Amino acid sequence: MSDPSDIDELAAEYVLGTLDAGERAMVAARRQREPVLDAAIIAWQRRLAPLDDFAPAVEPPSGIFGAIEQKIVARGSRASGMLAGGAGSTIITLQRRLRRWRISAIAAGAAAASLVVAFAARELLRPETAQNYVAVFQKDDASPAFVMTVDLTARTLSIRRVAAPVPARKTYQLWIASDKLGPGPHSLGLIEDQNAGLQKAIAKLDPTIVQSALFGVSLEPAGGSPTGKPTGPVFHTRLIPTSE
Amino acid sequence: MTYRDAPLQPTSKINSADLAVLLRRVAGRDRDAFSTLYGATSAKLYGIVLRILRRRDLSDEVLQEIYVKIWDRAGDFDASRGSPVTWMATIARNQALDEARRVQSVSIEDLPAGFDIVCDAPVALDAILASEEGRRLHNCLQRLEPRRRDLVVQAYMEGASREELGRRFGAPVPTIKTWLHRSLAQLKECLES
Repeated sequence: MSDPSDIDELAAEYVLGTLDAGERAMVAARRQREPVLDAAIIAWQRRLAPLDDFAPAVEPPSGIFGAIEQKIVARGSRASGMLAGGAGSTIITLQRRLRRWRISAIAAGAAAASLVVAFAARELLRPETAQNYVAVFQKDDASPAFVMTVDLTARTLSIRRVAAPVPARKTYQLWIASDKLGPGPHSLGLIEDQNAGLQKAIAKLDPTIVQSALFGVSLEPAGGSPTGKPTGPVFHTRLIPTSE
Repeated sequence: MTYRDAPLQPTSKINSADLAVLLRRVAGRDRDAFSTLYGATSAKLYGIVLRILRRRDLSDEVLQEIYVKIWDRAGDFDASRGSPVTWMATIARNQALDEARRVQSVSIEDLPAGFDIVCDAPVALDAILASEEGRRLHNCLQRLEPRRRDLVVQAYMEGASREELGRRFGAPVPTIKTWLHRSLAQLKECLES
């Protein structure tokens, strides 16, 4: 593979996309230490880049950017100055708010915030565990908000409405979506009780799937989605470990 | 899809200099700039990803990974190595291709009923002709034998594997490989002449 024409062929096929998974990984690793291969790849990217204009632009679904921001936040990028606010600061604001709720709930022993208390207590008892997760669903300050906690040791999930008016004859429904669960979102149940929210055992779900799954809350007709799939607007989110 | 399909496609040209400024701000952890960058580029990248993966569920997932990478690597963007759009499109293509190779055992025909498949949209020839580089590539593609041209364009745009191309073009994989190498060499020679 050290022949210059072989290197150029490899670079061309890498950029074209016709290599198999193993070959792609091999090229990606080799270019890190082979400047000639790296330069050949960049030259082919430039040659073929105009073909990118061929694919018609398609507007992505509205929930994607929120999910991206959550991923960035979840990986601890907060340390690098992300608390500075900005358009995407809603999640951080909610995390701060969540932290305040925990503190005030502990201080006041407020029964009304029972879920938050339980959540904080678990965290205090097992500060090192990465089995507890939290997820916040909210698009902006004017939208409904939900807080979900997942305990992968007890295999339970709780979700609670914190700022979501329920229109008449409507209900919120919780969904999970993952490649590994098959196509489309699957219902996890209705969030009907205003005070208790939804508590659910998730013993049947593989914890590794739960950790990486996409969760959604949609507004549905009373009794839940008639089609088995979300019919109303959906808020998406992913789990954030509470140990972070 | 063939390269000959050439319907009108409105092109939204994003200013390269603006994108470079946005990327610099994103490298400085500017969330507003990241949001603007996403607004300006996500439809283009999503179009590229959908074309390769065809399944919306996979594409939604992959688009998220792409922007997390763009956030992480914005500081690596080097204008001397290509335009901001090419840099982002390359991240998008690589992520989509890796995913396509990972799931290629699931062919479109095997998917369960009701799965959201993006139908073949016609390609946008006038978009490619809008730039100098695009016109040169187009002229050189036109000099390839039509089937070889389709082979190269389908491989690039749809992320078709050699096996898939073999099925579509009725040739064994080693033959596809030879055709690809010859077509690409011819293309390179034409572009550099």
